[in-house]
This record gives sequence, C-alpha cells and structure tokens, in this order.
Amino acid sequence: MSTTAALIEPEEPFDTPPGSPVKKEHHGVRCVVVTPEATVLDEPSEFVALPLYDGELGVLPGRSPLIGRLGYGELRIRAGATTRRFFVDGGFAQVRDDVVTVLTARAIPAEAIDADAARAELSAAKARRATSELELNEKGRAEARARALLRVSGQATVDAGH
Amino acid sequence: MAKARAIIKRRKAVQNIKKITRTMELIATARFRKALDRATQAEAYTRKIAEIVADLRGTSSTVAHPLLEERDPVRRAAMLVLTSNRGLAGAYNGSVLRLATREYDELQEAGTPTTLEVSGKRGIAFLRFRRIPIDASYTQFEDRPQFEEVEVLANRFIGQFLRGEIDKLQVVYTKFLSSSRQVPVTETLLPMTVSQVGEDTSRHPARGAGASSRGRVPYEFLPDPESILEEIVPTSFKIRLFKCFLDAAVSEQIMRMIAMRGATENANEMVKSLTRQYNRARQSQITRELSEIIGGAAALE
Repeated sequence: MSTTAALIEPEEPFDTPPGSPVKKEHHGVRCVVVTPEATVLDEPSEFVALPLYDGELGVLPGRSPLIGRLGYGELRIRAGATTRRFFVDGGFAQVRDDVVTVLTARAIPAEAIDADAARAELSAAKARRATSELELNEKGRAEARARALLRVSGQATVDAGH
Repeated sequence: MAKARAIIKRRKAVQNIKKITRTMELIATARFRKALDRATQAEAYTRKIAEIVADLRGTSSTVAHPLLEERDPVRRAAMLVLTSNRGLAGAYNGSVLRLATREYDELQEAGTPTTLEVSGKRGIAFLRFRRIPIDASYTQFEDRPQFEEVEVLANRFIGQFLRGEIDKLQVVYTKFLSSSRQVPVTETLLPMTVSQVGEDTSRHPARGAGASSRGRVPYEFLPDPESILEEIVPTSFKIRLFKCFLDAAVSEQIMRMIAMRGATENANEMVKSLTRQYNRARQSQITRELSEIIGGAAALE
C-alpha cells in the first residue's frame, strides 16, 4: 500500500500535483454510484469490485487513478462484514483518490432483481431476429444483459444440489 | 333586489374559482419543488460525464462516432415536441407549439420529410386540430419523467439515426433557465457535435471545470481512451434527451404556478369590485324605496 501515487486530500483534488510527497493514510474506498436520475449511493467501504467490460476489477485503497468502461454485471461493495451487491447496467467507472465513481444507467440491488422477468427478457432476446450487423450487435447486448441480470440475482440455474 | 342578488351570485362564483386557482397554485408549487430537486439531482451524472470527457480529451484529439457524423443534405428529419398533459399552465403549451409548428413548416417548405413525435395531450390535441399528421405520441411523461422511459425513446432514435432513417433529430421544448425565465427552444440532438458530448449542461458548472486548470491525473484507461469516448457519445445523447424532459417538466410546473398565482390575484380584485358594485346597488335601491315611501305619504296628505 506504499504506492507513490497521488495521495492527496479528496476535498482539494486538483491543487496538489500528482506524485507529490504528501502522503495520506488510507482509510478505505468511498464508493459513489450515480445514475442519470440521482446519486444512488455514497458510502465508505473497504473493497469495491467493479464489473468492467471484460471482467471484474477489484479496487482496494490506494489504487492508482483509472477510468474504465463497465459491462453488465455485479458491483460488490464490502464494508466490514457486510457485502452489498448491485446489478450495474453498463456505464463508466472512475477511480481517483480512493473514490470510486460508478456512472451507470441503472443500479439495482441484487435482492430487488426480478429473476423471472430477467428470464423472460433472456428468452425474448434469444428469439429476436437479427439480420443486419447492427441488429446482431443489439441482440448480443440484450442477451448479455439478461444473462448478467440472472447471474447477479443468484438464481441463474435451477438448484442442482438438492 | 334582482340586480343585487345577481351580483352576489357572481361574487360567489368568483370566490369559488379563486379557491380552485389558489389550490392549483399550491399544488404546482409543491410539484415544482420536487421536479427541480430531481433536475438538480440528475446533474451529478452530467457533471461527472463532462469531467471524464475533459480528462479523456487530453489523451486523444479525434473522436469519430457515427452519432457525430454531420449529414448533408438532410433527407429525413425527426422532430420531438414536448408539451404537457394538462392545461392551465399559462403560455407554456402555446409557445412551444407555436415554435414547433413554425419549425415544422420550415422543414416542409424545404421539402424534407419529417416524422413528428409529440409528448403530452395538449400538443396532440392542438396538432390534430391543425390537421398536422403525428407519427408517434406519448402521454406517459408527467411531472416525473423516468430515465428508463426516456432511454427507450433515446435507443429508438439512435437506431433510426444509425440505420439512416433519420438524418437529424430536433427537440422542441421549454428550457428552464431560471425560476423567472423559461424559453421555448429547438435543439438539434442528432447529429451531436463534439463539444456537446463533453458539455457540462448543469446549471451550476463545477468551479474550474476546464481541464487546463487542473493538474493532470495520470489515469489508466481500460480498455483505451478512444473506445471509452465512443461509449460516452450515446450515453451523452441519452442524458441530453433526459435533461430536455426534466427541463420541460420543471418549466411546466413553474409556469402553471405563476399562471395560477395571477388568476388568484385577479379573482381577488374581481371580488373587491363586485362587492363595491353590490353595495352601490343596495344603497341606491334603499334610497329609491325611501323616496317612494315619502312620495306616497306626501300624496296622501
């Protein structure tokens, strides 16, 4: 955790040049989730897992600045013993000064996902006719989204263990 | 006593109307507060996107995206008009529709086939009356437009634009500048311009938002700046369209509030003048009756 990255006060993020010797204790990552309608979540945590377009990315305190594209998937925020899980509908993530900003069209708590609706969405996406490249892309996106939704809801498959 | 009673009746009617307009004013005020809160909350997203674009701009100079492509000549255009579902909002619907019909006529004169889409019952009724064909109409957007609903529209417009079914998208709506100024405007949302993508449309832009004024943060980009910018373009379009809806909702409520305040004041004045009229009428009647009695008594002597 002894990185030489810009460890500066979040209140005045731009006044100190990056790489300055001013060091700060890391007290965790602040996670801010913003949707076009409102700021959904703004709270401290110890660890944040972001669903990037090509896989998951974990953010611990002291992560170097990052801007990334999000895919459809699960956002996990761990604070103490509790882990909160959200479904994120694409968008962007910015990490700077131990603040993770998630910009997404929708952030649904994992418990609030309607698995049946997601299943219906998936079959509708599968059944969609796609003839042109544009439609094919759209179909792929819709399928990936529905699959991710199902996965996050935790009811992706019928329980085989019983 | 006939005339005096008629005046009393009228006064009562005016008082009733006053009660209604006063209530409507209060409701509109509450709705306006809520709509404004929503619009302010929504600005966090816009500001953040603008920030990211500013950060990206330092790394790559050229942005190429099909949504940014200017098409000349414009063969087909689409126009979206945002009006309200309810009336009694002063000049709100009138001014938007006046602007919309002017723009529509211009496009027709230029010979550009235009698909016209209207949101709000008022606009639909007006255009039907003017016998202007409407291609799509929406009535689900009230004073709380949801991003999900707007996104559906936005995705359709993006699809149409990419497939070449439309070359231009204009939105006619009432822009909320301040609580004392709302103006009907036409905005071209598609094709977008590069400056629009990173524009901070919030009413209180973050201080020192210019990328030059801050020290550059050495970002790591995943996957790379270009593809992030490409992804931002459609997102930026969606939030611009969403902002149009939010602005229209806020403007509608505040204009209704002002219109109803005016109506209440007018009703107050009217009650005053009617009361005066009634008192005069009553007094002159008493005088007349008195003189009749005196006249009658004099005739008997």
